[in-house]
Amino acid sequence: MAAEEDPDPGPLVRMFAVTGGRARAVGEAFDVIAVVTTIGMPYDQAGLSPEHLAALRVATRPTTVADIGTRLRLPLNITRVLLSDLRSEGLVSIDPPAATAGVLNERIYQEVLNGLRAL
Amino acid sequence: MDYARSDALAIKILIAGGFGVGKTTLVSAVSEIQPLSTEELLSDRGTRVDDTSGVEAKTTTTVALDFGRITLREGLWIYLFGTPGQDRFWFMWDELAIGALGAVVLADTRRLGDAFPAVDFFEQRHIPYMVAVNEFDGARRHDPNVIRRALAVPGHVPLMVCDARDRESAKEVLLALVRHAKDMSGVRA
Ligand SMILES: Nc1nc2c(ncn2[C@@H]2O[C@H](COP(=O)(O)OP(=O)(O)O)[C@@H](O)[C@H]2O)c(=O)[nH]1
Ligand SMILES: [Mg+2]
Repeated sequence: MAAEEDPDPGPLVRMFAVTGGRARAVGEAFDVIAVVTTIGMPYDQAGLSPEHLAALRVATRPTTVADIGTRLRLPLNITRVLLSDLRSEGLVSIDPPAATAGVLNERIYQEVLNGLRAL
Repeated sequence: MDYARSDALAIKILIAGGFGVGKTTLVSAVSEIQPLSTEELLSDRGTRVDDTSGVEAKTTTTVALDFGRITLREGLWIYLFGTPGQDRFWFMWDELAIGALGAVVLADTRRLGDAFPAVDFFEQRHIPYMVAVNEFDGARRHDPNVIRRALAVPGHVPLMVCDARDRESAKEVLLALVRHAKDMSGVRA
């Protein structure tokens, strides 16, 4: 199905609770496939929710926003809010995807083509 | 612990087209991950979350967004996003299209018109795209040139027939798109 609607607000209400009711990420917008990397661990974990801490653990290996959402079983919007919190705390870096960063050069196109052929 | 900034690269490809044309099928055929669906909360747009109650209940709906991944090597991934074709989800396309390598417009010969909005969308935004005609069983084989004319797709845009269920066929589609995007990037540079 292309789109499924869930009129029951129950689970969503719970998910918004994860972000303290916020639906929007703070700071500069980032892509669903921006690469998130943990660059620090908080001295005091008390201020962070279990979801924040889980995201930090996942991103110790560079991981995309979409994959973090999947790992945490949270929708993208909620994931973004959590990650933007971590960014403003200086705990993660969020790097734009290849095309946005202007790094899609001849070499990378060729690597993608070779990689696809080899699948 | 080394906190080096990531040199990992993620590449985004959109799979667009009308309802039931085979978007989810194509993403599943090449993706290494299951489940393939994530959710966007539509309430993110246009409505404000009430600060006192902390929730925004009335207009909240979710929409499933197909999402697949192909790991080419450690730190180089292709992400496929199957985007819902209905008009009210176009805002999602706008955001997803930013930084996309390109798009595949899936078409079904029985409902060619369903592919128009997607073709239009990518033409207008100068996003490299191609048309893949998903040949459903029993569907009459059509001359690709007739389909090209019917969709008003320019000659330089790749157009091919595919079977969205078949991994090799889906791979061929992605290869054609990446080749095209590579050519276009040469033109744009
Ligand atoms: N016979 C046949 N069925 C297909 C093909 N591609 C998709 N389908 C079926 O068509 C239906 C709709 O496909 P789906 O991928 O969900 O379409 P979407 O709405 O574009 O995501 C599903 O039941 C698929 O199994 C195909 O190439 N041949
Ligand atoms: Mg679908």
